[in-house]
Amino acid sequence: MLSFSGVSKSFDQGRPAALADVSFEVGEGKICGLLGHNGAGKSTALGVLLGMVYPDSGEVIIGGCPVLTDRQNAIRKVGAIFEAPAFYEYLSGWYNLKILTAYSGAVDRKMMEETVEWVGLGSRIKDRVGTYSHGMRQRLALAQALLPRPEVLILDEPTDGLDPEGIVEFREQLLTLREELGLTVLLSSHLLGEVEQVCDEVVILQRGFKVYEGKVRGMEDGWNTFVIESENSETLVKAVQKLGGKKIGDLFQFPSELAAADLLEKLIEEGIRVTKFSEEEESLEALYLKFSQVAGKGDEA
Amino acid sequence: MKLFFSQLGWELFRLFARKRTYIGFGVFLAVEMLFFYFFSVGRGADRMEEFIERVAGGVNEYFSALTLAFIIVAFTMLLLGLVFVALVAGDILAKETEDGNLRLILVRPISRFRLLVIKFLSCQIYTTALFLFVGVTALLVGILSRGWGGAMMVWSPDLPRVSLFNWNEGMFRYFVGILGYSIVYLPVTGIAFMLGCFRIKPAAATIVTVAVLIGDRILSSIPLPAIDPYREYFITSRMDAWLLLMYQDVPWPRFWEQSGWLLGIGLTGFVIGWLVFERRDVKS
Repeated sequence: MLSFSGVSKSFDQGRPAALADVSFEVGEGKICGLLGHNGAGKSTALGVLLGMVYPDSGEVIIGGCPVLTDRQNAIRKVGAIFEAPAFYEYLSGWYNLKILTAYSGAVDRKMMEETVEWVGLGSRIKDRVGTYSHGMRQRLALAQALLPRPEVLILDEPTDGLDPEGIVEFREQLLTLREELGLTVLLSSHLLGEVEQVCDEVVILQRGFKVYEGKVRGMEDGWNTFVIESENSETLVKAVQKLGGKKIGDLFQFPSELAAADLLEKLIEEGIRVTKFSEEEESLEALYLKFSQVAGKGDEA
Repeated sequence: MKLFFSQLGWELFRLFARKRTYIGFGVFLAVEMLFFYFFSVGRGADRMEEFIERVAGGVNEYFSALTLAFIIVAFTMLLLGLVFVALVAGDILAKETEDGNLRLILVRPISRFRLLVIKFLSCQIYTTALFLFVGVTALLVGILSRGWGGAMMVWSPDLPRVSLFNWNEGMFRYFVGILGYSIVYLPVTGIAFMLGCFRIKPAAATIVTVAVLIGDRILSSIPLPAIDPYREYFITSRMDAWLLLMYQDVPWPRFWEQSGWLLGIGLTGFVIGWLVFERRDVKS
């Protein structure tokens, strides 16, 4: 439904690229998290996706339409929410929706009313946006993104500044949208917990490079992760390498064909006095930190 | 086409829904009242009567609502027109880019060219509405002060001689002149709009436009023969074209020629602005 192929972008010559040959895909009906620290290239990637930033090279396709050469048809399939969306403060939420949707063509009044009700703004939609709380602005942002019906939703830090109830509500709305409308979602967020709860897959950017693309949990396909402790860490690392494994941070990874019981037995056979052994279903936080660390070391080298 | 007019309509709605728009109109009204006081109420009123008597003869007939309204409009727009038109045209894109409103529009399936056409037309419609507002309010003030009827006298140093019209002809010339006045501001809209398409602060677009045109006016007004061969190339010299509509016999070919130049300058500003904006990255 959405694909990035070899997208590169530099804003200034002599400075590191904002995006360096980034490729990834998001399948239909999937929710994909876009992660990375500040300046990793997330906003640039979303800008390229929405046709607001021109890439130096590469191609972005939404629902079969290339954004660079057929932007209007590609964008017709998209709804987007930005961090701190800027509405016309002096107009009501309703008029803001009317103005924004006018740029997409005629939108049925009934559809607008239903969407406003669905996001929970029914009673305040005729009030000036200047009187809205942050949470209400986000609801309005969601409403405008859903009008007219998009196939892809692009969310840039959508829960930034929301209170915990607001975050939970937004998460539930997102999952409902996927279930009921089959929307494909690309979610850029700093909140790893949030991404972990709603996303099927994740793309991690680090200094403009894609460092990971895959499932949110379970690491890379074909590898299992373990927490192993021993009295002598040096001999442990040597034994791990001998058994075809690798050390990443405080964790160890082994090919998935090696079952946990067999691994423990082999480590003992190698003379390792194992003091702690458990299989780890890696959290997104660990995954994120690990790949950030790996990329950081790569950069230093 | 229907969709285009719907989008233009909503853009105008947005522009006219701002409190700031009406504050601007209020400022114009206040300045009109100031000129009304100078020309018709205060110590200047006697001098005004003497002047009209000397130039046109028959002060009772020619010191009419139309004569007074014309003078009020001419001086009000001379004082404020440039700043306000530059403010609106410089603001309309640059301010939305700065505030972030533009991001929500650019994620809609609309081309940047079409968006700019809508914004540019909105500016020009706003300018015409503003000039008409000033014209109508000045005329109302004139009618309340001098009553309905009489004749119209138009005098300006740029006119070959004083123009005198009966009431009906004067009314027609008055409104045609106001529409012409709003059209000659196209270069102001074009330059400010073009600057607003760059990565620039909204205030900077306005200030640079005003500075360029004031500089242009000063240079074109240098009373030395050496400037004469170049005088017609100054934008503000051509902006005086609206006064041609107030000649006793309108020199239409000259008016259309000057208007063509002004339209060309305004549209050139638009095209340069579009070319810049089209290639610009708008980061979220």
